Amino acid sequence: MSVPPESDERPLASTTAEGPAHPEDVPSEERRKFLKVGVGVLGAGCACAVAVPAVGYLAFPLGHDVTSKLDAYLPAGEAEAFGDTPTKVDLYADRVDAWNRVRQVKVGSAWVAKRDGKWLALSTVCPHLGCAIDWDGEAKLYTCPCHTSAFEPSGAHQQGPAPRGMDELEVKEAEGLVQIRYQRFRQGLSGKETV
Amino acid sequence: MGRIADWLDDRTGYRALTREALEEPVPGGARLRYVFGSVLTYLFMQQVVLGILLATYYSPSASDAWASTAYIQDQVTGGWFLRGLHHHGSSMMVIVLILHLLQVFVAGAYKRPREVNWWTGLAMGGLVLAFALTGYLLPWDQKGYWATQVATGIMGSVPGGEPMQSLVQGGSEYGNLTLTRFYALHVFVLPLALAGLLGLHLYLFRRHGVTPPAKMNAEELARKTQPFWPNQLFLDVLAMFVTGAALVTLTFATHGAELFAPADPASNFVARPEWYFLFLFQLLKYFDGPLTLVATVLLPGAVTLFFVLLPFVDRSESRAVKKRGPVMVAMGLVMAGVVALTVIAMAHDANDPKFQEGLAQAEEDAERARELAKKGVPPRGGTAVWENDPAFHAKSLFKENCATCHTLDGRGGKEAPVLTDFSSREWLIGAVRRPLDEDYFGGTKDHSTMEPYGEEGLPDAQLDAIVEYLVSLRGDTKVDAALVAKGKTLWEDEFDCNGCHEVEAGVDGDGAPVFGGRGTTAWVERVIRDSSQKDLYGDAAEMPKFEGKLSDEDIRALAELIVPPASAPEK
Repeated sequence: MSVPPESDERPLASTTAEGPAHPEDVPSEERRKFLKVGVGVLGAGCACAVAVPAVGYLAFPLGHDVTSKLDAYLPAGEAEAFGDTPTKVDLYADRVDAWNRVRQVKVGSAWVAKRDGKWLALSTVCPHLGCAIDWDGEAKLYTCPCHTSAFEPSGAHQQGPAPRGMDELEVKEAEGLVQIRYQRFRQGLSGKETV
Repeated sequence: MGRIADWLDDRTGYRALTREALEEPVPGGARLRYVFGSVLTYLFMQQVVLGILLATYYSPSASDAWASTAYIQDQVTGGWFLRGLHHHGSSMMVIVLILHLLQVFVAGAYKRPREVNWWTGLAMGGLVLAFALTGYLLPWDQKGYWATQVATGIMGSVPGGEPMQSLVQGGSEYGNLTLTRFYALHVFVLPLALAGLLGLHLYLFRRHGVTPPAKMNAEELARKTQPFWPNQLFLDVLAMFVTGAALVTLTFATHGAELFAPADPASNFVARPEWYFLFLFQLLKYFDGPLTLVATVLLPGAVTLFFVLLPFVDRSESRAVKKRGPVMVAMGLVMAGVVALTVIAMAHDANDPKFQEGLAQAEEDAERARELAKKGVPPRGGTAVWENDPAFHAKSLFKENCATCHTLDGRGGKEAPVLTDFSSREWLIGAVRRPLDEDYFGGTKDHSTMEPYGEEGLPDAQLDAIVEYLVSLRGDTKVDAALVAKGKTLWEDEFDCNGCHEVEAGVDGDGAPVFGGRGTTAWVERVIRDSSQKDLYGDAAEMPKFEGKLSDEDIRALAELIVPPASAPEK
């Protein structure tokens, strides 16, 4: 019961602990070197078959518009709906998002007000780190709920860590509708730069 | 560098570990036939890496799975290649698995003391098949969907299997939960289980060592023993490289894995499992009714049981092949059976014109769907990709604007003529024979002046001639000239049709619409715009004007739906 049936094999482990039992089996230094390089080259070949294409694959979103660029004027609502007090409007557009093409999906929002007889549309995205800016009706200021940045009704920077004023969006009135050209801008810069 | 390595070695002891791994003794010396386990380990690790890469783009939901797979396959840089490697990698694993199994079997390595290692190996083999089965469904294309339906259907058909089936597929039908479950199994449960078993397998392998050739005696084994490094390791890595090169070649040759059209539960797809399950598929054809159980459970179960109990079935003292005749024969029979069934299944499909036709259709659908997917798939799901097809758009326009009154392909109202095969010879014949039928002008207000012409007054041969003449009037060149001439005479003289119907505006007879040019795509387009024009239906026009309501492109698309421009109205 306690005798292993393959006792013929086991003792080998001890005889070879210091290396092969017979010196003639020891590969020459040159052969060892060749095999070592061979293992390295062949192994690297196997790894590269996956690793090389993986680089381009993972970096695909860097060189391609994975989501559709937003550039068109989007309807915000009827002109009469907006007055001196800023109103928040959601903007909808057809959009490609990687494999999906979605019709009339919410792409962002803007604060819209009439100032000195002209339309003013401000992106709700805080130029600091991208939180959504609120309108404080009592203080008559735009305020960011995250890092206490605040902005004048004109969108100008009033206080807090934001590096610039709120991002103004292009507005036009067509067919009785206020239309806004919705764009996104890089955060954390003192100048406006579209993404 | 050396000092950092020293520091690390001091803290981890990695050098001793590496040394132990590399100097493992191989009794009897390095052999090519020992490479399969290493190759399988390599393939598994590669599958893991490829799987992670695929998961960076794949989305496991019924509405996204196909679209995201098509995105990987046709848009992401190198996506087709990595997906192809993953797909063919599973086939490769099955092949090497079989080789490994056969090698272990021939060497008698399942015998004492390696029984547990034999079992862990068998369990891992089962896991590899489970990987294949769960992975097959994930693209949510026609092939994966229908082939997996069969597999889960089998599960449901065994006694007491229904709750099991519902559990696995997440409900009584395929849907989001089926995908999330298969995904969770495929990317979490199975890899973890396999990695755990692999660890155990390797531990036990190290504990018992390789199974050396039975014919060598103890002295010879000892004399020829080599350490794992360098000879065996080199052979292992060489075998991995050859396998990897074969995979890359196969992937290039096939341009990666197949991706059929999105899963459509309403279609009839020629479902086939992956090649390594074909023998089971073929086996199912020989048993029906209560005997189905023989093919689905009993036979595969018996073979599995044979493998599991093999260490106890084969009680011979020696591992030599010659001394294990009965089990060698049994294994030979199993293998021959599997190969024979596979060959029969393949030969049957290759010689089945219906299957070939179905496959060709499936490939055509796949190509079209994937082309349409490049525009982005509507979020309702894979099959919504067909909405990108202009014909689909026209159909929905028809449904919204025309179907209240007109019927097309069996759907719609009967307040106006049916437009299926509009103005084809058959349609025209019907219009003359049964003008007051609902299918023609029976449902249209104030269009009841034409009397039906029956067989007795207007024999078929004459009607055919008149219809041929009408077809020629719209400029169709594929007409029988003699028949046209005969029809013209009948039209003008015998039946005096131009007493009511004008052929050329203002020249002969009166009454609308003018028949010259009637029934072409352009003519239908004009009718849709404004049917009350003088040479169309004039004052008798009942149809609303769509000019201004629909865009020019939409009107054009509708006209082309009703009368395809290239083919003319003939079917």
